[in-house]
Amino acid sequence: MLPLQLLVNGLVTGCALGVVAISFSLVYATTKIFHVAHAGVYTLAGYLAWSLSTHGVPSVLALLLAMAACTALGALIQTQLYARLERRHATHLVVLIASLGALAVMQNIIAAVYTPNILQFAVPWSSRMVAAGSIRLNYTQMLTIVLSLAAYAGTMLFAHRTILGKRIRAVAANPFLAEITRLEPRTVYVYVIAIASALVCLPGVLVPLDLGLQPYNGVTPLLTATIAMIAGGVGSISGAFVLSVAIAVVQNLSLLVIPGEWSIGVTFFIFVIFMLFRPTGLFAAR
Amino acid sequence: MDFLFSYIVLAEIYVLLGLSTNLLVGIVGIFSISQAAVFGVGAYIVAHFLMADLALSFIPSLAIAAAGCVALNVIVTLPSLRVSGDYFVVTSFGIQLLATAVFTNWTAGTGGANGLPGIPPPDVFGLPIETTGQYVLLCSAASALGCLAFWLIMGAPFGRLLRAIREDEIAVAAAGKNVLAAKVSAAALAGAFAGTAGGLYATFLSFIDPSSFDLDASILLLTMVVVGGARTLAGSIVGPFLLLALPQLLTLVDIPTTIAAAARQLLYGLLLIAFMLFRPQGLAGERL
Amino acid sequence: MTAYLQVDGLDHSFGGLRALNECSFTIEQGRITCLVGPNGAGKTTIFNVITGFLRPDEGSVTFRGRKLDGLRPQAIVHQGIARTFQNLRLFADLTALDNVLVGIAGQFGEEPLGAIFRPLHTARAQARRKQQALRTLEHVGLAARAADLVRNLSYGEQKLLTIARVLATGAELLLLDEPASGLSAGALDAVMALLRRLQADGKTLLVVEHNTRVVQQIADEVLFLHQGHLMAQGAPERIVSDPALAEIYFGGAI
Repeated sequence: MLPLQLLVNGLVTGCALGVVAISFSLVYATTKIFHVAHAGVYTLAGYLAWSLSTHGVPSVLALLLAMAACTALGALIQTQLYARLERRHATHLVVLIASLGALAVMQNIIAAVYTPNILQFAVPWSSRMVAAGSIRLNYTQMLTIVLSLAAYAGTMLFAHRTILGKRIRAVAANPFLAEITRLEPRTVYVYVIAIASALVCLPGVLVPLDLGLQPYNGVTPLLTATIAMIAGGVGSISGAFVLSVAIAVVQNLSLLVIPGEWSIGVTFFIFVIFMLFRPTGLFAAR
Repeated sequence: MDFLFSYIVLAEIYVLLGLSTNLLVGIVGIFSISQAAVFGVGAYIVAHFLMADLALSFIPSLAIAAAGCVALNVIVTLPSLRVSGDYFVVTSFGIQLLATAVFTNWTAGTGGANGLPGIPPPDVFGLPIETTGQYVLLCSAASALGCLAFWLIMGAPFGRLLRAIREDEIAVAAAGKNVLAAKVSAAALAGAFAGTAGGLYATFLSFIDPSSFDLDASILLLTMVVVGGARTLAGSIVGPFLLLALPQLLTLVDIPTTIAAAARQLLYGLLLIAFMLFRPQGLAGERL
Repeated sequence: MTAYLQVDGLDHSFGGLRALNECSFTIEQGRITCLVGPNGAGKTTIFNVITGFLRPDEGSVTFRGRKLDGLRPQAIVHQGIARTFQNLRLFADLTALDNVLVGIAGQFGEEPLGAIFRPLHTARAQARRKQQALRTLEHVGLAARAADLVRNLSYGEQKLLTIARVLATGAELLLLDEPASGLSAGALDAVMALLRRLQADGKTLLVVEHNTRVVQQIADEVLFLHQGHLMAQGAPERIVSDPALAEIYFGGAI
């Protein structure tokens, strides 16, 4: 494949990944929880949209309904699992293990209900191709870029211009202080996970729309997203998004020299470089 | 009878893995989701040396596997723990996914997705181990040695140092002790246990494939420690024996084979959540 | 002649907050020096810099002629400096004896190979170290509580244990962060007596303390710190009775 085509594919993947990274980063920077169950919400979004879509629900409505469901699920995980553990003074490790348990539950319920085989969306317009010079993109890919950038911009606006956004940033910056002023961190945590779960629905639906659904396909994107978050600097929304695109582009371009099965190696290699030479990331928030 | 022996052999192999996971997760407090990857590395190394053109016998192969896994754990933990615990989480996930990619795609070294068949049975200094009964003896000896080593460590100053680190790393550093070195040593030891378990597993099944060493397998190992109980010898034994019996109990319930694997993993996930919420010390351990 | 402990031009800011401002002072060997000053003056920050927990933006620390810049906390302990914490940081689920044992350097069996392959030697070496730890507990007056878990000790006993733990390291310069705060009169006297005993043993003490009575009774010299800078230095009676310093300490705005 032409390098330019690979680059463009990388941009598409990177934009989707960027939204995953932003949403994960929101949760991590605010609650300090390494919310691996996020990969489960991401996966569920696609399957819910698929079920709705195959039952005749129009695409936009299917997406919105899936978002609503995932928002509720995210809030449920926070209030019923993480909040309870926090009340029992659970260690960081305990919360991580619980989150992993939630991920396993979600993925395997999906696998049991929908079988582990790959499922495809039956949405005809999604695979219509558009050509620009030597580059070819389908509608889903273009939609991915547009919607992901919109989500990025929206999140930035939200974080810096709205009251809730500022409240979230305040809690993230100093949870202890937030506790004794009236910011009510615990309520903020619910909002944050709800928003993040809604956000991650976007790539959760768009990526499988292009590539198909599989129950266990959520972990690798999540891992790549966390690497982008770290490399971009924890707390920096832009850092997470930009590095996601960068990593996806590098990963795609590496296909020129390395077979696709080893892509995870490329991502991990990038992570190791950052870990050894710049662990705080490029744009660490102050 | 053979069936019971098989269960015991596997359980004892998983006891070694339980000790390994308990060292990392329970005692040092590191979240490791790459235990199965290390297990796999040990298995593939032993299989390789037993089937190489200039084949080695079992014990030397096992030693190389253990050493290899020690090195792997040190290389993985040293740089990441120096930064932070969450860094290690990402590293651990990465290692597990990378290992699965290697096991599945490096056909020359690991047989790829089809795995490695025809692994010869082991021998202990010339004495061949072929019947399941003999395997029970071999694995009982190995797991007993593992338990002994674990017990010795926990009773020694090293065990006390690890317990202190889990409580307050900063205070330990202020007392003049090298926290990172202690954690990495524990991880190295965990590697030795896992590598040995891998070798025993490979020769017992005489066939290994990547699906035994994937993320789901790591989740199972974590579940064993969580259910059995963290930081104790008893927990490292109870967990594996119990969790390996579970699939048998599941067969009593009528679950179609297509979703049997998912059903098991779902159960592990539920166990993880339930124990973290209601019994973090597991059945026979100390609070995680 | 080089000073025993020399702190030169320390500067450090946390974000926008200036914690240390051209802070310099020296400590003489064998003396009990008290570090006083209002909250936020930078006393604990200085401790953190000296003991390697914090790398200052500027400045250096020299101990017995050797620069401590960039050394990690455990290395500084080996150089001969150990510290206690204001919030104790004891190992709550370990016994008093075990807390002290963690501090003892060079014990056999503190890494896995020795513990596994030479268990008998480990056990024998441990028996000797336990005697050593017991003697340390006796020295601070806690021998009777050796086998008790830290969570079951009284606050006063826990404070004595923090001192026992630094003694176990064998360090000759001890940095004590508020060893007397929150104690009843009897426990206070016990701590002060212990500090004098330590001085008689040849230890040098740098003590952060708020209690003026304690300062007056045990200090050979007082360093008054304000806004990260050394404001005054001298004999305790002079510092404690200085009205300008009292104003800063009690009434002045920060």
